[in-house]
Amino acid sequence: MDQLELLKQQWQAREQELPKLSFDEIYPMILKKSSSVVKWILIASVIEIAIWIGLNFIMPESSKTINQGMGLSRVFTLVNVIHYTIFAGFIYLFYRNYQAINSTDTIKELMRKILKTRRTVRYFVYYNIGTSILILIAVNIYYYFNKELLYELMKSTFTDGFAELDMATFTSVFFVSQIVVGILFIGFIALIYYLVYGLMLRRLKRNYVELKKMEV
Amino acid sequence: MDQSLEHSFVKQLEEHQNVVHKICRLYTRNQDAHNDLFQEITIQLWKAYPKFRGDAKFSTWMYRVALNTAITLYRKSKKGVATQEFEGVSFKIASEKYDDTVEQQLKLMYTAVKDLNDIDKALVFLYLEDKSYREISETMGISEVNARVKMNRIKEKLRKILNP
Repeated sequence: MDQLELLKQQWQAREQELPKLSFDEIYPMILKKSSSVVKWILIASVIEIAIWIGLNFIMPESSKTINQGMGLSRVFTLVNVIHYTIFAGFIYLFYRNYQAINSTDTIKELMRKILKTRRTVRYFVYYNIGTSILILIAVNIYYYFNKELLYELMKSTFTDGFAELDMATFTSVFFVSQIVVGILFIGFIALIYYLVYGLMLRRLKRNYVELKKMEV
Repeated sequence: MDQSLEHSFVKQLEEHQNVVHKICRLYTRNQDAHNDLFQEITIQLWKAYPKFRGDAKFSTWMYRVALNTAITLYRKSKKGVATQEFEGVSFKIASEKYDDTVEQQLKLMYTAVKDLNDIDKALVFLYLEDKSYREISETMGISEVNARVKMNRIKEKLRKILNP
């Protein structure tokens, strides 16, 4: 006889070999806290959203003074209004997707919903990285065309560091450091994401792909 | 939380715990992990319990939540190293009706099933539980035809593993 059929035949017959927990052993289990993937995804996502919102508030006073001096404060206010409206949209979408996750869904549906929730946060991060790059480029181009004004402003804001630099040296030091810091920052974030996503979603993605293959 | 609800839930789980144990055994490789997964499935069942309206049998409803937990929701804990001896436990020589070769074959088959990927294993599990293809397709979220085709492929795969 086929071995799988043999196993099936024995499957129910051997249930007495399984562990048997009593009512009093099961009862405390329902009071414990879950440590499911969904919970970890929620925690990670909330931290990510909080960090990105937080980053917007920790801009140093000196940069604000410079931006104001450069005549950018109105532009930045407008950018911030748009930015936070989009933030709110993302948070709403994330919450809605998260709420839809349900352990009584079919296996495929559950996986799809978790991946979708995660994807919202990923787009949120892409959006943030993208706008950071865009703002960095736009601001630097603007600075470049107004470098005399920038030089004067920097000299008066940072009295000790910049006073000795001449205009040409200042320009190259300033823009090179802007580019280096920008690349390092984005590289660092990309690395963190690679690790977080890699570890948390590898198994889920693999299983989802397996299940999708059945549909072909 | 409503005490009578807690009571009736634990009572039903106690009665049908075999389903959960079988899943834990298939999806974990040592006793610690087995207990961990059992705990997590219990929590997920309890969380979903208010939505259980009794229009399906409790045991039928359990399959979905328990498999979802084993495949997707459960985060494998790092504690405990995989121990091979545990795998054989449920097919240790328990009955005198079967000779060693049958027992050996059962053991091999069970190990082969355990080595399948998470999704294929769920399909085989439901098959071993004698679920219809309709029920299998409803639990997995794939069509009945696809479930049937896939099951035949897995059978073929298992046959090749055991009879090379």
